[in-house]
Amino acid sequence: MAKQSKKSSPLPFLALLLACAVPGAGHVYLGRVQRGIIIFLTISALFWSGVAIGGVFTMDPVQERWWFVAEMLTGVHGLIGWHRQKAAREHLESVEGDSPDEKMEKEKIALVTPADTAARGYAGVAGLLNLLCTFDALMLSIMGVRGEPAPEDEKRKQKAEAARS
Amino acid sequence: MTAWTLFYNPITLSFYGELWLLLPLCAAVGVVYKTIRIHHLRRLPREVLFLVLYMVAGLVLLSVGLWLVQEYWP
Repeated sequence: MAKQSKKSSPLPFLALLLACAVPGAGHVYLGRVQRGIIIFLTISALFWSGVAIGGVFTMDPVQERWWFVAEMLTGVHGLIGWHRQKAAREHLESVEGDSPDEKMEKEKIALVTPADTAARGYAGVAGLLNLLCTFDALMLSIMGVRGEPAPEDEKRKQKAEAARS
Repeated sequence: MTAWTLFYNPITLSFYGELWLLLPLCAAVGVVYKTIRIHHLRRLPREVLFLVLYMVAGLVLLSVGLWLVQEYWP
């Protein structure tokens, strides 16, 4: 049964905020729960697959700024990844060695080609996909759409009723 | 010397291993894109499958084209 309604308009700012913070949360707020869950699972799996491939330095605001910006678009996942990266960098300071690169080699956390491309590609694309979903949630909320779209035959019935009245 | 830990240490990848990682990436892009685009969610698997096939076919054609240019361009 379709539940699309324009009676209680969603708040665009809240939809934007939720979609930015947690992937899929914007869609859940708009009553599209299944879509929200699919978006959350896919974007989370993609981001954490990237981190699994590239390790803790997949997120590196110092050397890979633009990838970092894309990764931060995953919201809460990006924040967790950034926090872990900062903790790892602090830990590196206690490791003996001359340069940061040498310390990373010693700890075996240096991210090298081709793993860096795959890892940052996964995590960065996850962020860009969340940007797409955020934009979609924002547009739906601006249009005042709530719930799943009505099936085609139901839409036709509604149009016919509207034409009759 | 520290033990290898998932999500902390990077994994070692070969070049061809990296190429195979394109498939899950295309699948994830397809799932998210189709989730926000399609009207009925029950059609999602079919739509995603076709989109992933289109993407992979496009990538293969592009790579073959670029390889031909690289090999035979005067």
